[in-house]
Formats: sequence, structure tokens, C-alpha cells
Amino acid sequence: MDMKGKLRVTLVASAMLATACGGAATTPSPSIGSTLVIGSAISLTGSQAKEGNLAKQGYDLWYDWIQAQGGITVNGVKHPVSLIYEDDQSKPDLSATLLEKLITAEHAQFILGPYGSAATATDAVIAEKDGIPMVEANGAAQAIFSKGYKYTFGVLSPANKYLTGVIDMAATLSPKPTTVAMLSANDNFSVEVAKAVVDYAPSKGMQVVFNKTYPAAAPDVSGLLSQVKPLNPDIILNSGHLAEAIAINKAAKDLNINAKIFAYSVGPSTPDFVDALGKDANFVYDGSQWTPQVKYSPQFYLSVNQYVLAYKTKYNATAAPDYHVAESTAACLALQKAMENAKSLDPAKVRDALASLDVMTFFGEIKFDSRGINVFKPMVVEQIQGGVHYTVFPPDVANGQPQYPTPAWSQR
Amino acid sequence: MSQLLQQLVLGLLLGGVYVSVALGFSLVWGILNIVNLAHGAFVIIGAYITWVLFSRLGVDPFLSLPVDALVLFALGYGLQRGLINRVIRAPLLFTFLLTFGINLVIVSLLLLIFSPDFRSVTPRYSGSGLSLGSVTIPYIGLARLGIAMLLALVLWFVLNRTRIGAGIQAVGADRDAAQLVGIDLRHVYALTFAIGAAFAGVAGGLIGLQQSITPTAGDPFTLQSFAVVILGGLGRVSATIAGGLLFGLIQVLGLNAPGLGAGYSNAIAFAVLVVVLAFRPQGLLGRLA
Repeated sequence: MDMKGKLRVTLVASAMLATACGGAATTPSPSIGSTLVIGSAISLTGSQAKEGNLAKQGYDLWYDWIQAQGGITVNGVKHPVSLIYEDDQSKPDLSATLLEKLITAEHAQFILGPYGSAATATDAVIAEKDGIPMVEANGAAQAIFSKGYKYTFGVLSPANKYLTGVIDMAATLSPKPTTVAMLSANDNFSVEVAKAVVDYAPSKGMQVVFNKTYPAAAPDVSGLLSQVKPLNPDIILNSGHLAEAIAINKAAKDLNINAKIFAYSVGPSTPDFVDALGKDANFVYDGSQWTPQVKYSPQFYLSVNQYVLAYKTKYNATAAPDYHVAESTAACLALQKAMENAKSLDPAKVRDALASLDVMTFFGEIKFDSRGINVFKPMVVEQIQGGVHYTVFPPDVANGQPQYPTPAWSQR
Repeated sequence: MSQLLQQLVLGLLLGGVYVSVALGFSLVWGILNIVNLAHGAFVIIGAYITWVLFSRLGVDPFLSLPVDALVLFALGYGLQRGLINRVIRAPLLFTFLLTFGINLVIVSLLLLIFSPDFRSVTPRYSGSGLSLGSVTIPYIGLARLGIAMLLALVLWFVLNRTRIGAGIQAVGADRDAAQLVGIDLRHVYALTFAIGAAFAGVAGGLIGLQQSITPTAGDPFTLQSFAVVILGGLGRVSATIAGGLLFGLIQVLGLNAPGLGAGYSNAIAFAVLVVVLAFRPQGLLGRLA
């Protein structure tokens, strides 16, 4: 409530400011239209509070910027934005309930997605039912998009791309790794990531020698890793979450398991991973939606460098934003561009504009296939080297070389 | 064969964690008849204390365990005396609600103080282990098991060989009779709760070495403590040890059960729990009330 109050104050102030400037200008400037309400039910507390707050940072970065512009220009009229959050406490069911509340009680005209595939899937039902366009940035499971929904769009690369980039990279290395062990959490996102790897690896001449799931947030993974050890795989992959990536890395060291490549779908890209593991985080790879090193030439909003700077300034951070922040900002950009293109705030027209959107941003290309998935943006592979993240694949956006093979634990 | 041996070792080490977490929970439940839903939050407070001392002052995590115990002892004593004691004679549901609320408050405070970032305690010797043929025994896991057993021994000693322990047992057996013979009920209640919290704090310090610490990471420990007590039985230190070690073994072996996905690990663990409840409701080593 407090936050909403603050938003409203900012809103009124910025509207007044915009009016004042408009009055002083000699050239005709866009008139000020009605305030546009955008809602999001996101995980600010609960088990996914970390990731949820990162997503919120991404939304807020765009919000500050668009308010500084005076709002979104739709058909010659500038509409100031009101961004309203509800805390879904990391519970997917609650997310849907709160989204309904945002739409009916708070009159949200557009929706930014929640955090996580599970919550996105439940929110998509509401968006579809009410005919409200939702652009989401934190639900990568393709299952969300297989139901034929017309109003849900995801700006991020789908789950099946998360770790296949690591396989592509591995195929270029020498000596070429030939065996893969896959450990996967049993949620729908992680299972999709794992399945894609298991299907894809043989086409690159690699054999999957171990493929098992564990319960998400498993208390202890060392038992599972002890099964991997005698197989001595070249590549150990995990599709799961930050806590499990840390636990697996610790358990691999505990059990003295030495693979040439350790790669985890989620986790290593966040600063927490390096903080938690210290130098044991070195040499670890991850698939990332975005890195601060990528080279894209955006058509609007900020360049990659400006974006990193804006983030560091606003959040007084020393580290660059991780991809959760960037993809969330990208969702805002897609929504903004679609409204501008539609020249209307009519939900159905904005939906159509989203469907035909094709724009280059600091986050990469945003363009949706018929299901609403952004399959046009590539994933990149990162490696932690000396505590610093380097983009190592694909070569055309990379700023470093893979350090390969990973040295044995005893030789670090 | 060596594979199985390795898993038995890992199961026992994990069981050590469960024993340390469940000791305090079992004590409070057995003596005060309070199912403390804030127990996991106490564990995480202990983990954060260890983390702060380690990351800010460079204190070895094992050396910070007494600090965890002292801080949580004081917190537990104060909470019981000031808050929980007011509903101690009320039906079970009231204490349930109250400890549930305390849990929410603690988790939210931790979120405010420490933010939801993942914290981890990784000392220099983390990851080294003893190799016996093809079986590896991580030193930290071994130390954790050892400390859990030491905690159990201390608890047993306090309960059975000291005057205050006799008082606690007396209150657990019959509070009215205990009051008649001159035991200060409020003090013993608070003391029991404080000891339970102190044990949770030590367990938290140990847990930070194994997994990431977040404000919400404590919730599973309350559930696991509950499972351990059901499995082992209420009211005996030895029962908690048996329940904890067994639960660890079931979890690890369940994760590797042939023919089943590891996703069934929790299902297997709780299926065993249901079987125990059905055929031996007092737990493996528990006494019938």
C-alpha cells in the first residue's frame, strides 16, 4: 500500500512537471493522456524472494526511465504509467488470485509477468480469461505456451535452449568431451531443460551416461552425486535452481568428483554464487539469457553499457545486473513498443501488436513465434574465471575464451 | 557394493544433521507439549549468526557454535517467558497459532535485515575428506555427526544427571505435582524452551556449512524435525538419534532407489512415516503415553 502511495505521488509530480514543460515549449508536444495502469503479482517474499526482487528491479528501472520521458506515447498522447505490485509470496496459486485482484480492483490494463514458470502458468490463465495482454520475462517453460493462449508473451529464450549452448560449446573444445551426466530438479522448467539436453547431446557425438531427477530444493544431493562418481563423466550438468547449484558444486568437491565441465542452468550468473563458493566457483559454466558483455545495437531505450550504468547508479551496486533484471526490463520494453505500434490502448490491438513485434533491444531481438515465445534471441554461455563472469560462447558475442578442461579439485 | 557403502555413509552423515535439528524440537514437544513451528526459524537464526561471524570477523564456523547457543538460549527464554507462557495451558491449537506467528515474524525480520540473498559459509577446509578405498567421507559431515552426538550426550546428561534436568522431567511428567513439590513452573518452562532453542541454534551453525542460508530456508527443518520425532518416538534422547539417522538413511537411499526416479525420495520417506504411524504410533523407541 505504502509503495502504491509513493507511486501515485511520483506520478502526480511527474505529470505536473510534464504539463509545465509542455506549456513552456514552443513546438506542439503530445498532450497528457490518462494514466496507464500496469500490474504485476511478483515474489517479494517467500522462497523465490531473491529472484522476484531481481525481476522487480528490472521493472523499476524501466519505470523510472519511462516516467522521466513523461510516459508512453500512444497516438500522439503521452500516458504516464502507474506500476502496481502485489506480493505473491512465491506461491503460484496466490499469484493468480492477486492478478485477478489487480485487474478487477486496481483496474490494471496490462500485466507484467510474475517470477517463475509455475506462477507464470497460473497467471496466463487469468490474462487469457480477462483478455489482458501479459508480457512475462521469468517463465521459460514451454508448457506455458502450449495451451494456445493468445494474451501471454515471453521475451526470454525458452527452457530447451538453456543448456544446449553448453553442448554446442563443448563440441568445439579439445579434447572433446564425450560423456554427459544430467541432474535435474523435478519442476516443469528444469525437466524441460534436461530433456532438451538428453535429446540434443547425441547429435553432437556425446553420450548421456546418467540422467536423474531429484525433488526441487532437495536437502542433500551428495547421495545422487555419489552415483555419478564411478561413471566419471566429462560433463556434469544441473538443471535446477541457485541453492541446488551451490549444493551440487559443494558435494562434487566433497566427493572429489572431477569433470571437465561443470555447468548449471540457474545460479552461477548471480553474484551470490561466487560469494557463496569463493574460488570453488571458478571454471563453472552456465547458460545465460543475457550478460553485460553482449553486443547488440538497440533501436530504442538504452545501450548495454548505459543499462549497466543505470542499474549500478539506481541500486548503488558494484556488480553488473544479472539476466533476471535485464529480461524483466525487456518485458517492459516489449509492452511499451507494442502500445506505441498499436497506436491504441485497446487490449486486443496491443495484443496484435505484440504478436507482430520485431525489435532489437539491449537484451537482444524481441520477436515472438505463433505460441508467444521469443525463439529468435540466442542464449549465451558464461564461465566464472578468477571470480569474474566472462561470456565465452557463441564467439561473436564473447569477451573471453573457455578455460578448459576444469582442473581437478586437488590441483586448484 | 562400495556404491552402497558410500550411500550408507552419506545417509548417516545427513542423519547427523537431522539429529541435531530435532533434539531441541523433541525436547520442547515432549516436556511442554508445544509443537514449535518456529523451530526452523531458530535454526536459521543460528545459521545467520555463524555466517555473520564468519564473513565479517573471520571466526571459524565451529568456534561460533557456542555463540549460536547462547544467543538462541536468551531468545528462547525471553520468548517463552514473555509470550508463549501466556497460552501454555490453552489447547494445542493456540500454541500452534502462536509459534506459527512467531515463525512469520522471524522470517520477515530476517528478510529485512539480511535480504533474500543466498549466504553460504565456506571455510578453507570445506570439501576435503577422508578416502577409504572408493568411499569418501567429507570431514565437515563427519564433524557435524560428531557434534550432533555430543549434543545428544549433553542433553541426556542434563536431563538425567542434573537437578534442573530432574525438574524438567518432573514438569514433563505431571506439572501440577511438580508445582506442589516446589518447582518454579514458569522458570522450568522457559528454561526448557531456551535449551530447545539453543540446540536449534547450534544445528543452524552446522547447517550453514552444507547448504545456502536464506530467510525462508528454515521451514523444511520444522517439517523434518516433526518427521524425525514421529519416526523415533517422543520423550527420549535415544529415540531422536534413532529417528534422525534413520530418516537420513531413508532420504539418501530413496534418492537412489533403483527403478524409481529420485523425485520419489520424499514420497518414500513420508510413506515410511505413514507405515510407522499405522503400526507403531509411539515411534520406534518411543514410550506409550
